[in-house]
This record gives sequence, structure tokens and C-alpha cells, in this order.
Amino acid sequence: MITIELNGKQQTLPPGSAVTDLLSIIGSDGNTVAIVVNDLIIRPDKRSTHLLQDADRVEILVFAGGG
Amino acid sequence: MDFLQLGSYTFSSRLILGTGKFSNTTVMLEAVKASGAQLVTVALRRFNREQLADDLFSPLKALPEVTLMPNTSGASTAAEAVRAAHIARELSGSPFIKVEIHPNPQHLMPDPIETYEACRILAKEGFFVMPYIAADPVLAKRLEEIGCTSVMPLGSAIGSGQGLATAEMINIIIRESNIPVIVDAGLRSPSEATLAMEMGCGAVLVNSAVAVSEHPPEMAEAFAEAVAAGRKAFKAGLMPKSSSAIATSPLTAFLGVNT
Repeated sequence: MITIELNGKQQTLPPGSAVTDLLSIIGSDGNTVAIVVNDLIIRPDKRSTHLLQDADRVEILVFAGGG
Repeated sequence: MDFLQLGSYTFSSRLILGTGKFSNTTVMLEAVKASGAQLVTVALRRFNREQLADDLFSPLKALPEVTLMPNTSGASTAAEAVRAAHIARELSGSPFIKVEIHPNPQHLMPDPIETYEACRILAKEGFFVMPYIAADPVLAKRLEEIGCTSVMPLGSAIGSGQGLATAEMINIIIRESNIPVIVDAGLRSPSEATLAMEMGCGAVLVNSAVAVSEHPPEMAEAFAEAVAAGRKAFKAGLMPKSSSAIATSPLTAFLGVNT
């Protein structure tokens, strides 16, 4: 298993997991989120091929209410 | 028609609505519809599987008239704001970004130096940059010069409901500006929105005044009418002020009284 930091918390994943696998685990269809891995924005067409590595810092962001 | 031009976008509504602090998403959506707002602000937050209802992207995207203007709230430096803007554009597909950099959560006053730097970078990158600023005419002019689409001076502190405390400074900004001036923050009542528009603001941005009112959709509609009335009055041209009375009725030839 590998351990990544997801939104500031530790998350374990099978080795070779892509960003889309992480989305499945957290229950997001990916349509309404932005994903940043180690400060790099991962666009939707790259999510299935971008493999996560041990110690990656992943931010998954949504739009919430704000003024 | 009298349109608000922001970048390459034109809007018939001059009321911009924030989406924070509503009791729930349904009420927020009703308020957006009632307001007629075509530009609404949103904030970036971390995904939380326990709070999926907080994700506003889909419900707002379902409103065909609405364009999203993400903000950079939470950023305390220019670098953080630029990063947030990039992420927000990726998600929203909107060229608009409200640059909001306030390092002190007690007063939420915008940092002029970090704001200027973030705006400089984002304007060069082609964003339609809408900075939230103190009502500082010099800063406003500098931001216009580096390509900001609008400047958004605060009427008073965010969420304070203290109205147009900075009215005189905003008047100067309006006189000096060649881009729309949008009062952002502090408005409490529709009459204050009318006053801002009568002064010559291009639009007003309202959030708390609607969101924490007892009936947000009704208050949103009231603000929409107030903004439209103020704009119409501005276009019609207010009468000049006089320090003495000027009669509206004839004062001569009255009941045989000779003057």
C-alpha cells in the first residue's frame, strides 16, 4: 500500500492507483471537483493515467458558498 | 438597453449575489433566481464526503443565466490567490476571478500590496480580474492601469451591515475610474444599494444582507428592484442640491395679494 496526504489527512491506496481510483474510493464522480497533486492541477482527461505515488499531497476541491 | 460590460461579457442585471451563509442550497438558489443576478460568487473549499450538499457547482450550473465568479477567499498572499484562481478557472471555466486577500480574520480588510501583485499576474494571464479592495482611490486607479476589469471597494467591513461608510471615497473612485466600480461588502438594506447606484456605481455585490435576512428570496428581489431604481435615477440625472429653498409653486398673483 502507499500513503498519500488527501486534503490534509492520510489516506492509504493500493500501489498503481490513478487519480480516478482515488475518486471512486471517496465517492466522487469527479465532475464537480478540481484535483491538485503536489501543486499540479490534474485535468479530467489526465486523471485515469496520472498514477499516485507514496507521499503525494492531493487536494480535492469543490465550489461552496462564498461572497 | 443599459448593460453592464465586464470584460467581454454583458449583463442586464447590475446586482451580483454572493452564495455564502444561506441556510441551505435550496434557499440560496431561490434567492439567486429572485435576484435576477447573472454573476454569482462562489468559494473554493476542500471536498468533504460528509458535506456533499455543500457542493454548489451542479445546482448553479443548472441556472442558464448565471456566470460563476469564484473568489480567492482564504488566501493571505498573492501567491495563494493566484494558485486559487488557477484552480477555480479549471473548475468553473469562467474567466472571472474575485481577488480577495485578507490576512486578518478579525476585520477581513483586504491587503492592498498582495492584492495588487495578484491582480497584476492574473490580468496578464487573461483573467477578468475583480479585486475586493479598501475604498482607496489611488489603489483603484493603479489596479485599473494594470488591466483589472473592475474594482470592488468595500462599503464597510464584510458582513457588518454598516452600509456605505466609505461613500465619499467611493465617489472619488467613481469620478476617476474608466472601469465599472462595484460596491462589495457591508451593505445591509436595499436603500443603500440604491444610493450606491445613484452615485454611479456599475453594480453592487451583496451576500449577507440577503442570506441572513428572514426571507432571502424576498430580500433578493428587493435588492434587485433597488439596484434597478438607483441605476435608472443615475441615468436620469439627479437634480442639483441647493442650500436654500427654490419654490415649486408660483408665489405671486395669489388671492389678490400684490407683491
